[in-house]
Amino acid sequence: MIAALALVGGIYAAFAPSTAASGEPVLDGAAKQGQLLYNDSCISCHGNNGQGVEGRGPSLIGVGSAAVEFQVTTGRMPATRQEAQAERKTPVFTDEQAQEIGAYIQALGGGPQLPEGTDLRGDNIAAGGELFRVNCSSCHSFGAGGGALSSGKFAPSLDESTDREMYAAMLTGPQNMPVFGDNQLSPQEKRDIIAYVQNMKAHADQGGLGIGRIGPVSEGLVIFLVGMVVLIFATLWIAGKS
Amino acid sequence: MTDTTHHAAGHAADEEFDADDPRMTRFDLVREGARRDGVEIVHYEPRFPVPGTRREKRIVRSLALMFLLVGLFATAFVVIYIAWPWHYSISNDNAKWFTPILGLTLGLSLALLGVAMITWGKKLLPEEIAVQDRHDGPSDSTEAKLTGQTILNMGDELGLKRRPVLGLAALAGLAPLGAVAAAPIIGGLIKDPHTTGPKLADGQKSSILTTTGWTPTEANPGPIALTREDGTKIRPEDVSVGGQMTVFPGIPGGASNEYADSPTLLIHLRDDDAAALEATLINENKGPVEGFNWKNYVAYSKICTHAGCPASLYEQQTNILLCPCHQSQFKITNNARPIFGPATRRLPMLPLALDPEGFFVAGIVQKDGSIVPSGYTVPVGPGFWERSDKIS
Repeated sequence: MIAALALVGGIYAAFAPSTAASGEPVLDGAAKQGQLLYNDSCISCHGNNGQGVEGRGPSLIGVGSAAVEFQVTTGRMPATRQEAQAERKTPVFTDEQAQEIGAYIQALGGGPQLPEGTDLRGDNIAAGGELFRVNCSSCHSFGAGGGALSSGKFAPSLDESTDREMYAAMLTGPQNMPVFGDNQLSPQEKRDIIAYVQNMKAHADQGGLGIGRIGPVSEGLVIFLVGMVVLIFATLWIAGKS
Repeated sequence: MTDTTHHAAGHAADEEFDADDPRMTRFDLVREGARRDGVEIVHYEPRFPVPGTRREKRIVRSLALMFLLVGLFATAFVVIYIAWPWHYSISNDNAKWFTPILGLTLGLSLALLGVAMITWGKKLLPEEIAVQDRHDGPSDSTEAKLTGQTILNMGDELGLKRRPVLGLAALAGLAPLGAVAAAPIIGGLIKDPHTTGPKLADGQKSSILTTTGWTPTEANPGPIALTREDGTKIRPEDVSVGGQMTVFPGIPGGASNEYADSPTLLIHLRDDDAAALEATLINENKGPVEGFNWKNYVAYSKICTHAGCPASLYEQQTNILLCPCHQSQFKITNNARPIFGPATRRLPMLPLALDPEGFFVAGIVQKDGSIVPSGYTVPVGPGFWERSDKIS
């Protein structure tokens, strides 16, 4: 996640260091609240005014409120330690507080923002499914159960993801996820994808147990461990003396 | 006991044995039958000599219950199969239990039937110990000779010497049938893949092994546009920094399986990553790859050089492209060099240019600004017999 922020922030900082150095921005109410929270919990790694600390945390100038909201509401930030990738955990801040921090970071350097509301679902689930299979399924798998990447990194399962989190992830490309900007997937297409994923998650597995919906890996494991063991005991019982 | 002595013993017993002897019980006949098959029943006693004990009744009751349950679950299966109100909807209602419940009822019915049958055999049938001699070693010489002559006799009976026409006819019929079995092996050698590709822009024949949908041909001289799966062209601003997009050749059927070797990943690198890649390309001297990128945009074949799977898992911070089939990893900022897994070749790079309307096309920009259409300059996908180039 640190790296995720580093990416956007790093680029921006590379050619616009003067923006951050041009003095205190004028903050409105929410951003002021956000600044207080930021100075309590984020400043040790991301530095004064979100300018980043070499070797600890990237600059947040230009990452936008969408990235902040994603990282904070999923509990990935504040990070507890440096590791292969920051994982989802119980959030430290409420959604409202996350939006306040986001407002502060937005005031500092701009960047992508989320639309209003918690229901970001389109009406065209079929189109969303098509887009999901083309753009998302290679890493998050067809059932949105996630999958492995290199060196301990992984594409997480979308089981717990909310509409806003998915929208923010597509918009900002957290960590190693590619960015799907509004020119590539329009806001309407993003909403269709979210509608598809949320419908798929709410859908009962018509074939019985889904077993994580990651296909042959979990199914093979269950067949081998449960099925084979049952068969072995069945043969012992059939052949055993009564 | 060998076969011959066994036959002799059986024959001898046959003379003494009278199947119509009224003193013999049915079991005596069963035992004699088994004996003639080389099986000796040495111990045989009913499981419950006194009928109607409490234990026997208990077993009978539980068996009866099992059979009733078999019928109950089977009936439930049929009723549910006919009457369940299944319909497709995107909601999550009880109707979705149709398949699991069918499986459960039929599964329980069959499992109980199996358990009942085994229980019957184990708990109620008489206890029995039978001994059978094992037939070891080769047959003796007499037996071998008899069998051999029997087989030769079958050949004589066919009478091929008397009726040679039949032999020839059978041969004429069977030979092509043999060719059918060999067809998959030999068939691949009939068409020369070096001349069956599309006609190139200059009218030359081409090889299907070295051409893709991006290759400029007589029918599609190019420059061929990069398109989405719906055929729309792509501008640079369509892919954000740190973003990637799967693109297809903008020719008829370009996103179909006819050009399954052509899907390409268009990547928008960050400034420092693009600089690292450009340095690699200039240092390579491995062919005309310098200038294949357009600013911070690069395009690499999506077909893994190991086994041809789509390598499409792109990590935008580490710039590693993963293939999900066998975990090959390609470092994009090192000109897609394989850094992990079984792949041994770099992913081929597609030369990128912008046409006058601002859309991406596959081609090499010349010094005077004109675009020479070009597909991949090395074959995409896994190796074939005449390829020997390895990673550098």
